[in-house]
Amino acid sequence: MNVLAGSIMILAMHCALAQAAPSAKPSGATPAAEAPAAPCEACHGAHGEGMAAAHVPRIAGQSAEYLKKQLDNYADGTRDSPIMTNFAKALSDKQRIKYAMLYASMPMPQSPQPKSLNAVQFARGHQLAFQGDERVRVQACNSCHGPDGVGVLHAAPYLAGQSADYIASALKSFQQGTRKNDAGELMRSVAKQLNDADVIAVSGYFAQVNLSTK
Amino acid sequence: MAKVTRRSFVTTVGAASVVPTAALLTATAPGAPADAATAAKTAMDAASGKPVYLFFNADEVLFIEAACERLIPADELGPGALGAAVPNYLDKQLGGAWGAGERLYRSGPWQPGTPSQGYQLPFTPGELFHTCLRAISRDLAASKTPFHEMPADNQDAYLKSLESGAHDLDGVPSGIFFDMLLKMSVEGFFSDPVYGGNRDMVAWRMIGFPGAYADYFDAIDHHGVKFVREPMSLAEDGKGHIHTRQDIPANL
Amino acid sequence: MVQRLKEVDVVVIGVGMVGSIVAKELAAAGYKVVGLERGQTRFTVPEFQSPAIHDELRFDIRKAMMQDNTREPVTFRNQGSQVALPVRRWESFLPGTGLGGSMVHWNGQTYRFQANDFQLATRTRERYGKNFLDADLTIQDWGVTYDDLEPHYDRFEYLLGTSGKAGNIKGQIQPGGDPHESPRSRDYPTPPQKEHYSGAMFRKAASSLGYHPFPQPSSNLSQPYTNPEGMKLNACVFCGFCERYACEHYAKSVPQTVILPVLLANPNFELRTGCQVQRINLDSTKKHATGVTYIDAVGREFEQPASLVITSMFAINNVRMLLLSGIGTPYDPATGQGVVGRNYAYQTMSTVASFFDEDVHINPFMASGASGTLINDFAGDNFDHSGLGFIGGAFIGAVNTNGRPIQYHPVPPGTPNWGKGWKQAVVKHYNHTVMFSLHGSSVAQRQNYLDLDPTYRDAWGQPLLRMTFDFPQNDIKMAAHVTAKAVEIGKAMGAKQVAGNPRKGPYTVTQYQTTHNTGGSVMGDNPKTSVVNRYLQSWDVPNVFVIGASNYPQNASWNPTGTLGALTYWAIDALKNKYLKNPGRLVSA
Repeated sequence: MNVLAGSIMILAMHCALAQAAPSAKPSGATPAAEAPAAPCEACHGAHGEGMAAAHVPRIAGQSAEYLKKQLDNYADGTRDSPIMTNFAKALSDKQRIKYAMLYASMPMPQSPQPKSLNAVQFARGHQLAFQGDERVRVQACNSCHGPDGVGVLHAAPYLAGQSADYIASALKSFQQGTRKNDAGELMRSVAKQLNDADVIAVSGYFAQVNLSTK
Repeated sequence: MAKVTRRSFVTTVGAASVVPTAALLTATAPGAPADAATAAKTAMDAASGKPVYLFFNADEVLFIEAACERLIPADELGPGALGAAVPNYLDKQLGGAWGAGERLYRSGPWQPGTPSQGYQLPFTPGELFHTCLRAISRDLAASKTPFHEMPADNQDAYLKSLESGAHDLDGVPSGIFFDMLLKMSVEGFFSDPVYGGNRDMVAWRMIGFPGAYADYFDAIDHHGVKFVREPMSLAEDGKGHIHTRQDIPANL
Repeated sequence: MVQRLKEVDVVVIGVGMVGSIVAKELAAAGYKVVGLERGQTRFTVPEFQSPAIHDELRFDIRKAMMQDNTREPVTFRNQGSQVALPVRRWESFLPGTGLGGSMVHWNGQTYRFQANDFQLATRTRERYGKNFLDADLTIQDWGVTYDDLEPHYDRFEYLLGTSGKAGNIKGQIQPGGDPHESPRSRDYPTPPQKEHYSGAMFRKAASSLGYHPFPQPSSNLSQPYTNPEGMKLNACVFCGFCERYACEHYAKSVPQTVILPVLLANPNFELRTGCQVQRINLDSTKKHATGVTYIDAVGREFEQPASLVITSMFAINNVRMLLLSGIGTPYDPATGQGVVGRNYAYQTMSTVASFFDEDVHINPFMASGASGTLINDFAGDNFDHSGLGFIGGAFIGAVNTNGRPIQYHPVPPGTPNWGKGWKQAVVKHYNHTVMFSLHGSSVAQRQNYLDLDPTYRDAWGQPLLRMTFDFPQNDIKMAAHVTAKAVEIGKAMGAKQVAGNPRKGPYTVTQYQTTHNTGGSVMGDNPKTSVVNRYLQSWDVPNVFVIGASNYPQNASWNPTGTLGALTYWAIDALKNKYLKNPGRLVSA
């Protein structure tokens, strides 16, 4: 009855991931992290750290499932970016899996982005993240994105420490409907309820979440 | 209760071999630090320390710990009630609002009623436990071996006699006490770790329940595929620390 | 010292779904409306937000959203010969409290009853003969027909945005829907939710046996939806925390998400929370209500005069309010005379568990409250009851609503209650079991009724409601019959072991079954056998309308909320277009 085993590419990727995971039994497979990373590195960095000022997100430690889906969606047009669409289209399915696994295997950066908000903006960002706002019928971001926006596997990417400009541009593309690869249209629904000030506040808030334990 | 980092669970899970080989949707270990194993071990040792009991007295603790571990024993599948800190959960619940009769209608007159009419004793849960544990202590005083030192079979036999209602525990039919002990033990095993049981979410991990953070819009399409993700508590922060709080009110 | 307030046009007792809809319509029509709610205000933000709301102990086990039973429980007994005792903890049924009412914690399962149900007595006689029923059953027709209610069902479904697939549009059978349903004027506002694995397995097995599976109509929405009130809802994410919880995502249709913001924005409406209504006040003729008396959250007593009083509480609380106010003649089971409290009915719930091998991964925690797959082949009168000795039936469905482990850890029969055997069985079966829900009808019986308890009182000193109920033999037979059919479906799914658990007596308040309590203020054409007329107007006090599942003469095979919504709009239609234009009796007694 385990009917779908092997029939969905993303699941095949998970099988590979299971072998690559540090806790799995030794498989003898070459760790994905040793593969070359040429096409992504120029913008996303050798360690997946992104370029905050250029709206380029951190992707290190983002789940492979999420990264693979984004590459697929850039290629199929449900997410738009002139740069990423071309890159994604040029990649084979195997290559998309490879790069998704590569960046997923890198440590998620613990350091926050530079502070960009004043106290009022920060309070608003915190409110949207932790509680939501009944007035505009928006639920808490953390409901899906996890405590402090650290992400929830199989559900939502991390936002903590992400580039504020990138989060803002993602929200804008959800608002405008040029990005439509969100589960259940939930991000489009939420983003449309936010005004420009909200977008700045919540983006800046997550950018400066500090997960380092020091 | 000591805090445990979520990252440590990556290592812990693998070591406990509870990830079935059929797992397809599988947890990744994003950025697990190199010293995760060490960090995890330290945290687990700290977390495994004996709870500080506030409701049960020392004698009661001996009985409760032993009895709970028989109700939900450790085995090859994973920890039992002790490993999951179930007695700690009982201690905090019985010593708090729930033990004092929260959500219990407490006006008389008091009559035994029929089984279908449910609990009809004047005792709060806290009063019921102290009353029954005192009676059990007297009952067992005659036997040479204290309950917690009995062989498991003898412990089970005594618990079964409580369950069957064979004992009069200072007026309380022992079946009523046993039912409450068992029900609360299952609660302590499976509830969110915020309440002080289900330590390190061991019970959730054993059955594969992913916990409080729950959004399966995409995952639900993967029919028949095992879903694997580290469980998440409602009380964990972004650094993976689970903060316990046992006095969450039973209202909104 | 009772403080007398300024008179208003309408006072609504209980601001749940019914109260919100009635108040919204009447306030919009220009009437001054006061809504009295005993509980607290609460909204999606901040009260319903996760992860805090995803707390099984607090909401499932401790019943955090429910009526405060320490102040206001009910008493219960199986038989009139027994002494009723307080239900000291809620278990069997869970009335809610607070703004939005019980619907805040519902599962979203949104059905219509069938045409047959509204004329049950007549049609049963016609099809099976006069003497088919047990002599002590008191089933009767509703006084309204399905055709009367169809436009109002439609309106309610479009208010909620219900996700489903029509099976019969204006007499045309629709592939993929429920072919047994009575004709609807159009399809559901949104398509069905995604199917859970257990539903897909059920669909295949039920089809192979010649049955007609269809997706459960769900008010946890499959996609974003804007309702006719302008309220925007989101898609459900299958979090598995639905019934007994509130939704953090604006994805479950409850008063807060579909209508309350519109109501609260209308200056003709005033909401007062923390107000415990003590009684509806009558003038000296006892034929006219002058308003209500209530006690607020800090203990002050108020009289709120009103021209029209609408009780829109949970079913059993509607009945209690009538009894406390002396409206209508209380029912006496010894003589069969009287009406208030008569025909209390419930729902006859059975289950079937199908246990699979450990390579079949069910993932029960991925769930909406209403994304099951069902058949209606054994519901209502959709099968021939000749020779069976009972009427009624149940829908059978793989309705996987959650995998919350304190409550949900199915084990096969014969498993020990505790110890190693129990633990191993729990681990072995948690992710490899499919549960069927068998949602059975409930006939009214002479001995089952509600009245005021002679002994026990609430925190305000008023008598508690006393419930006298046991399952009629009719329903026990029905449960056994339908369970046997469901077991065959479990076997056809290829389960290793199938365990049927047909509902048996005695009824117990110690085990959760359902919160579908019905009857006690039933509607009908005859004041000797009903409390309200077909427009839900009190026969005895015409400026009191009673709206709730308490209006149902008996309960059908489906969850009652869809029908209650239809009745609400039906009553509003009568209020706006008939009663308020010319206050008085809408039906002559």
